[in-house]
Amino acid sequence: MDPLPAAALLAAPETLHPALWRAHQLGRAREAAVRSGFDELDAQLPGGGWPLQALTELLLPHPGVGEMRLLAPALAGIAAAEPPAPRSVMLFDPPAPLCGWALAQLGVDAQRLIVVHGRDGAHGARHLLASADLLWALEQALKSGQVGAVLAWLPLRLRADALRRLQLAAQSHDGPVFLLRDIEARARPSPAPLRLALHSAGIDELALRVLKRRGPALTRSLRLALPPVLAPVQRARAEAARLAAEATERARLVPAAGSAARLSLAERCGLQ
Amino acid sequence: MLWIALHLPALSLESFAATLGALRHALPLALLQGQRIAAVNRVALQLGVKPGFKRATALALAPQLRFGQADAAREAQALRAVAHAALAFTPMVALDGDAALPCVLLEVRGSLRYFGGLPSLQQRLRTALAPLGHSGCLASAPTALGAALLARWRSGFELGAHVDDLSALRQRLDDAPVWLLGPGREHRDALQGMGLRTLGDLRRLPRSGLARRFGEALLTELDRARGDVPDPREALRPEPRFQARVELFERADSSEQLLHGAMLLLAQLVAWAQAQHARVGGFTLAMRHEPRHRGDTDTPEHTELPLVLAEASNDVQHLQLLLRERLARLPLPAPTLALRLHCDQLQRRAAPNGELFPSASSAQQGLLRLVERLQARLGPGQVQQPVLCADHRPEHGTAWQPALPQAAVRLRSTPVAAAPLTRPVWLLPQPLALHEQQSRPLLDGRPLQLLAGPERIEAGWWDGSHAARDYFIAQAHDGALVWVYRQRLPRVEPAGEGWYLHGRFG
Repeated sequence: MDPLPAAALLAAPETLHPALWRAHQLGRAREAAVRSGFDELDAQLPGGGWPLQALTELLLPHPGVGEMRLLAPALAGIAAAEPPAPRSVMLFDPPAPLCGWALAQLGVDAQRLIVVHGRDGAHGARHLLASADLLWALEQALKSGQVGAVLAWLPLRLRADALRRLQLAAQSHDGPVFLLRDIEARARPSPAPLRLALHSAGIDELALRVLKRRGPALTRSLRLALPPVLAPVQRARAEAARLAAEATERARLVPAAGSAARLSLAERCGLQ
Repeated sequence: MLWIALHLPALSLESFAATLGALRHALPLALLQGQRIAAVNRVALQLGVKPGFKRATALALAPQLRFGQADAAREAQALRAVAHAALAFTPMVALDGDAALPCVLLEVRGSLRYFGGLPSLQQRLRTALAPLGHSGCLASAPTALGAALLARWRSGFELGAHVDDLSALRQRLDDAPVWLLGPGREHRDALQGMGLRTLGDLRRLPRSGLARRFGEALLTELDRARGDVPDPREALRPEPRFQARVELFERADSSEQLLHGAMLLLAQLVAWAQAQHARVGGFTLAMRHEPRHRGDTDTPEHTELPLVLAEASNDVQHLQLLLRERLARLPLPAPTLALRLHCDQLQRRAAPNGELFPSASSAQQGLLRLVERLQARLGPGQVQQPVLCADHRPEHGTAWQPALPQAAVRLRSTPVAAAPLTRPVWLLPQPLALHEQQSRPLLDGRPLQLLAGPERIEAGWWDGSHAARDYFIAQAHDGALVWVYRQRLPRVEPAGEGWYLHGRFG
């Protein structure tokens, strides 16, 4: 077998090892990723989807911006996948009681859900510090490798070594791990290879910024159309109402601007 | 027939020291029988203490010596556990009647082929006995008593006390000392005085004279060992209910100390279950406490810790893990003196097949174990699973039950088809009353824009939590969608419209 010429290797060093990529390229995940269900997002994620065996951090201003609708297509695929078996989705310390019907409508099999509360954090009380029990349980779930997907709502204040432990444990977990934290955590360092900031961008739309990924920085934010809550008719009506409200607002402001202009004109006249 | 004899020379001392953990090799220990020392460990032996000494003599030699009382019941329990472990290899396991030199006998001719020959079987036997923490001598011979004699006769063990052939056994036994036989030990001095040291010496004497002087028993034993007369043995059967207790070496103040004792009991429990080809479905660990002072009635005498497994298991490691998590959570009212473990929940089904490649059932198994561990530490109510209920009221639409992955398969209701989303993912635990401005609801001080609705939900007049509400989907100022409702009938606040926030479309 001919060894590859050294010049060719130097020209394309990213072919040497899957962990290598160039700064202008997207990293290639060694493992297959789970498709997120949003083509626009998949195109921007290394590996073409949510990474397996690694942490993914989602930072949001408050629960309820559309994070579950963003994750639902991937979770539905994991909970219903045939090969080798449908797998469970574990949720750690969700911020509020879940509505099973809503998840069923999103296509996630409610029978595959397991919700774990920290010992003192039952029913969604938000804590400043993660309980040691919860971190332990999270680590156990990741290490066992038997869970399909893990979602954990972690508090803002979290020791860096706790996150690093989770990242290490995630390597034996054959599925995506989503850590959902407050947007304030953006300034804190994190070992997660993928970090996204989410915020709402209107009716059934989500704006998403990639804070960190294996690849070049993405300056623009993505706008994703979420699984809709409103029917198209209702949505059109709401848009029309919004436009009308804006128009009246502008109409309320414009005469004021006009009078100001007139006033300045009068002043000028008075000066003359 | 081929018998393996397993002689446990230090059974009484080991059963006493088993709860000590690693300390048992560091402390000088001695067992007292009456006022005399019956057994000592290696550390005590190095200090010059020997069996047969009086207590005061031993203390003069080694003041740091720790004493324990020999306990026949404890020894019997330990011996039974060894026999249970041996039952994994053959159905014919018997205890030798000689209490001074305890011995377990296994008839293994029928099992040799399955376990891959005698050396492999002996290796497996040693591995199976390791968790019980006993040291033993193995020997095999065509007769049960012959094997037992070879095992007790420790000289020659290195030469290979494994005799396959009856004539070789007889030859070997001719050199064995007379005290190996139970009746021979009784008449040891008399026999020695007559110059009879080995079994060969005995055999050369006229039988009638021997029988007259030392009784029939001596000759019968000799004949049985040599295979001249049959030696029927009764196979040991495990009792239907497991009960074992252990006295802790020191009173235990922490759960970590308790675990040392509990691990011994668990090893015995698993040996008992394996002997019956069954798996443990649950057990109860009872801790006997020491009263804080005399006449203390506040401290309960016992604490019971029942442990029920979601799926029966025979894995000592798994049981230990569960017990460790449970003990770590259990508040103990007082120091513990003794532990008792009983179990009558056995699953006598065939064990599930092991699998080479990951499959649906092995994944289910792994998940079950994970859930069990989480529940053992956090409590069963903290690991939950949703059950969809056909109720229009959103707060009653999802019930939560302790997670049990295998139960979920049974409960499986008709799957709900993916549909347009009409319910929010996050429900507030309590509907949040909203402020109003000109009859319009405000969230965080900004007006909500109602986008869709009303959806009227009126239900529950029959069970006391009547809900009569008009639900709207509204948009908050940052664009996120929320679910609000207007209370209809029993107006709580007569002033306002009665707007509440009930959910967020996550």
